[in-house]
Amino acid sequence: MSGQVYPKDTKVLPGLQLEKVDDRIMTLNVGPQHPGSGHMRIIIKVDGDYIVHCDPDPGYVHRGEEKMAEYRNYITNIPHLERPVIHDSCNILYPYCLGVEELLGIEVSERAKYIRVIAAELNRCVYIQYWLAIYGIFLGHSTMFMWPVGDRELMIDLLDKMTGARVTHAYFVPGGVRNDIPANFEDMCLRQVNYFEKRLKEYADVFYDNPILISRTKDTGVLSREDAIKLGTTGSVLRASGVDFDIRKKEPYDVYEELDFQTNVLKEGDSYARSKIPWLDMLESCRIIRDALQKMPKSGSVRVKLKPKPKAGDTEVYRRVESGRGSLGMHIVSRNNPQPYRLKISVPSFRNLIAMPHLLTGEKLGNLPPVYWSLNYWPVEADR
Amino acid sequence: MGTASGIIKALNSGVRHIATKRFTFRYPEQKLKFVGDGYQFDPESGVGIAGYKGRHILFHDKCTGCQLCSIACEEIAEAIAMPKVEEEWKHNKKSIMPQIDYGKCVFCGLCVDACPFYALYMTNDYELSSFTKEGLIYTPAQLQVKPQIDQDVEIQIDEKGAKHG
Repeated sequence: MSGQVYPKDTKVLPGLQLEKVDDRIMTLNVGPQHPGSGHMRIIIKVDGDYIVHCDPDPGYVHRGEEKMAEYRNYITNIPHLERPVIHDSCNILYPYCLGVEELLGIEVSERAKYIRVIAAELNRCVYIQYWLAIYGIFLGHSTMFMWPVGDRELMIDLLDKMTGARVTHAYFVPGGVRNDIPANFEDMCLRQVNYFEKRLKEYADVFYDNPILISRTKDTGVLSREDAIKLGTTGSVLRASGVDFDIRKKEPYDVYEELDFQTNVLKEGDSYARSKIPWLDMLESCRIIRDALQKMPKSGSVRVKLKPKPKAGDTEVYRRVESGRGSLGMHIVSRNNPQPYRLKISVPSFRNLIAMPHLLTGEKLGNLPPVYWSLNYWPVEADR
Repeated sequence: MGTASGIIKALNSGVRHIATKRFTFRYPEQKLKFVGDGYQFDPESGVGIAGYKGRHILFHDKCTGCQLCSIACEEIAEAIAMPKVEEEWKHNKKSIMPQIDYGKCVFCGLCVDACPFYALYMTNDYELSSFTKEGLIYTPAQLQVKPQIDQDVEIQIDEKGAKHG
């Protein structure tokens, strides 16, 4: 306590540390109200302009989704389970529906599987566009905020016609989907996808090939292949570090093995690569949607009729899918009840958060936004 | 690619959009058209009919007061109450019908899925704001009214781009 400058009778509350004034190291709280932090706080210690310590502090939007799930039956769990990521609501319900179907022993019709894949891929595009808009605005590129938000609106309109709601669709259900697609949906969807693909190329012109962005994000926050695996990251963060891991390829669910697509891998592992992978994913999603529309059976049932309160046996199941941020898994334990005994959600955001202290330590303070947002982190999902 | 040519390419990409027609429209004057008359459900096949999940519509001549919609909502939003109505129907002995609190409703449409008598559907009406909390509670009589909506803007997407018409 050499640098103590406070009067001797200053009362220090237990658990509260007063900072020494003449210290070299300064503590900064980024968030939880800072618009650039999302609903979370990052406690960083800076030495001049360099970050020497970083401690992410999530938990501000914890809603107890897992506990809530224990008091609701398998159908009424649907609306609240999609709340953690409302932009990606189809993908967060996907593992739940796959798991419950396995528990109840339901076989979903072929047409429903294709509709689910189309909805999930459209939703992935909606999510990534939203994320891209935020990434753009925090790098000071306001065109990259306006364009994805505008184009996202068209995609939301399409999902709206398909599912009946703009963001919280509640569309997937154990046993298929809630309703069949409208009559002229295939035509609308194809035109939308063609338009969207053209727009993505313009995004590249204005953003990804922009020398200003490249000089800002290249070689900032480099995550090596070994570290990415050791830290247990997933999704775009893992694939940007050169690991070819995509659940859609490794553990194909529904009809993904019949569809023609590839996974995108970049070797650099820096902020630029992490932001480019989602863009490549959107191009891939367009291919998947087009292929799925072609191969989809033209008619057939889309939903298996269930009993009002379906009861599962004394088993448990774990299913995971590739969401907009990475692998999203749900572990459902059933004990002969209409409600799940336990439901554990393994979210990609929380898994990618662990890379943040690793990446930010040693970086300049100005590199915080490009590194933080390139992690594809969604605080609400991480807190559940 | 050089720095200068990259910046010119980026600027050029933006400039090209100055002259193009926009697909955004003036919302309160113009409204987007939806598919169909709202989300409906066919209990016989167990499959819904695509449509927007907006404010509900209740058919008094079909509602039996079975409370299945209320039970479905119990674990979701607790938005549906079953008050007594003045009307007398042969199929509704208890004379109770759903009353929906839109301050609580999450518009998931699972109450529509629960109705076995084709009595509860959803409509395209989404403008439900009110100055009071009581104004958000729709009684069975209010739910019976078919909403007057004027939604006609359609967004057209073709090779040239997207525009509204």
